[in-house]
Amino acid sequence: MKIALFTDLARSAFRRPVTERYPFEKRPAPPLYRGQVSWTAEGCTGCMLCVKDCPAEAIDFFTLDKANKRFVFRYHTDRCTFCGQCAYSCRFSCITLDDEAWELAGGDRAAFVVTYGRPEDIARVELEELPATGA
Amino acid sequence: MNAPATERFVVPIGPQHPALKEPGHFEFTVEGETVVDATVRLGYAHRGIEKGAEGRNWTQTLYLIERICGICSHIHSTAYAVGVEQLAEVEVPARAQAIREIICELERVHSHLLWLGVAAHDAGFDTLFMYTWRDRETVMDILETMSGNRVHYSANVLGGVKFDLTDESAVAILKGVEFLEERTHHYRKVVSEDAFFLQRTRGVGTMTHAEALALGVVGPTARASGVARDVRLDAPYVAYADFPARIQLLTAGDLEARFLARLDELLDSFRLIRVLVAGLPAGELTAKRMPRKLKPGEVISRVEAPRGELFYYIRSTGGEQPDRVKVRTPTLCNMGSVITQTIGHNLADVPMILVGIDPCFSCNDRAVTVRRAGDDNGRAWAWADLRRYGIDYYRRIRN
Repeated sequence: MKIALFTDLARSAFRRPVTERYPFEKRPAPPLYRGQVSWTAEGCTGCMLCVKDCPAEAIDFFTLDKANKRFVFRYHTDRCTFCGQCAYSCRFSCITLDDEAWELAGGDRAAFVVTYGRPEDIARVELEELPATGA
Repeated sequence: MNAPATERFVVPIGPQHPALKEPGHFEFTVEGETVVDATVRLGYAHRGIEKGAEGRNWTQTLYLIERICGICSHIHSTAYAVGVEQLAEVEVPARAQAIREIICELERVHSHLLWLGVAAHDAGFDTLFMYTWRDRETVMDILETMSGNRVHYSANVLGGVKFDLTDESAVAILKGVEFLEERTHHYRKVVSEDAFFLQRTRGVGTMTHAEALALGVVGPTARASGVARDVRLDAPYVAYADFPARIQLLTAGDLEARFLARLDELLDSFRLIRVLVAGLPAGELTAKRMPRKLKPGEVISRVEAPRGELFYYIRSTGGEQPDRVKVRTPTLCNMGSVITQTIGHNLADVPMILVGIDPCFSCNDRAVTVRRAGDDNGRAWAWADLRRYGIDYYRRIRN
């Protein structure tokens, strides 16, 4: 027992610490890491499956003009559980979870709301305070 | 404190107490140092998850269910997914089932290593605690590489799994398993040879085979008393029929046996993970079609969580939402053994006996009505009855 103890002691003395030197050194997240959600309008048909299946009600979806594919996608980072179901439900790969956006702590709650869409559509949603579709 | 040894004294422990990190209230009646009677009160971390499930659709409930336990998150979602798939009569591809099983076993490794550390800490053996938790990082890293998250893997979807096993993760798994296997052999030696540690475990909290059967204990706690009960073998789910686990039985029934049963299970998990990675069937990851609305019906789903048998009852009335989801976690089945096994032991042994069942309080806290044996006046509680009961209850405790 004693010999094992000394070999372990000697080995540990020259080994790098097990703990990480965060925030000085950042270990890259694995490729499958589920970070912040991002949405692209390209391909989106406004089927709302992402909203229906979200377990945390983290997505507000605004259908301004379905025929012309004018949608606004509002994402609440602070409600999100990062399960990735929205990305899985989307048949047109419009939603991705960013493996680099994982340092999400912040002091201001407003910064957690991210709105995607054309600038003029976002402006309209915000100005007219439109209710989310299906809400 | 000069009470004579014959005088009985009740020691209340909890809900907040230093030995456990979770809320539970115990009352131990002691004569001198010896426990002569014990009671337990649970329910401090009741979260209303079963009711919450009724207001969500089938998919949303999957993620709610996954959050019942932070340690065995995958097994909960697997139990639910297997049940829902059975209700929907959906065939899940073999590859998806095997990937589910790999994660089940990796989760068992992580859970048992975590428990070993906690148990060692409660025995005052903090060196072992530090070592096991350092090594546990290996399996956490494997799970993160494989799934993208350390705790809530979100591997399951209804009808299959979200991600495939990449070559990179397969290499990481095999490498990690090799390291952990070597460490587990070392821990097994420590647990069965260290004289000081054995004073806390050998012959403590002994539960005979007959007692284990009478108390209905499950999981490693039962297997350490020689009860051959393992859902993986008794009623194989996911891919356990093709990739079977081997039961780890011990007969001593004391705390030492519970340590060894879990460590033997770890070694079997490593074997099973290797077999699974080598023989992973080819094929799709999800079933072709998973309906959003399920036919009316009810189903029972049983799985072997790291702590023992996990039981789900799921009922559908034909809508997009479950009508009822009932969960029974292994801790509830094992809690009775803590009450009976502590009697006759020193008060100082109580934390060790409690930790021996690997309790998980917030998983197990839900509304339970206890009926005396022989009393068959069953009663169905409607929502209005429950509401009435709640109002009366709080009015009573306030006055």
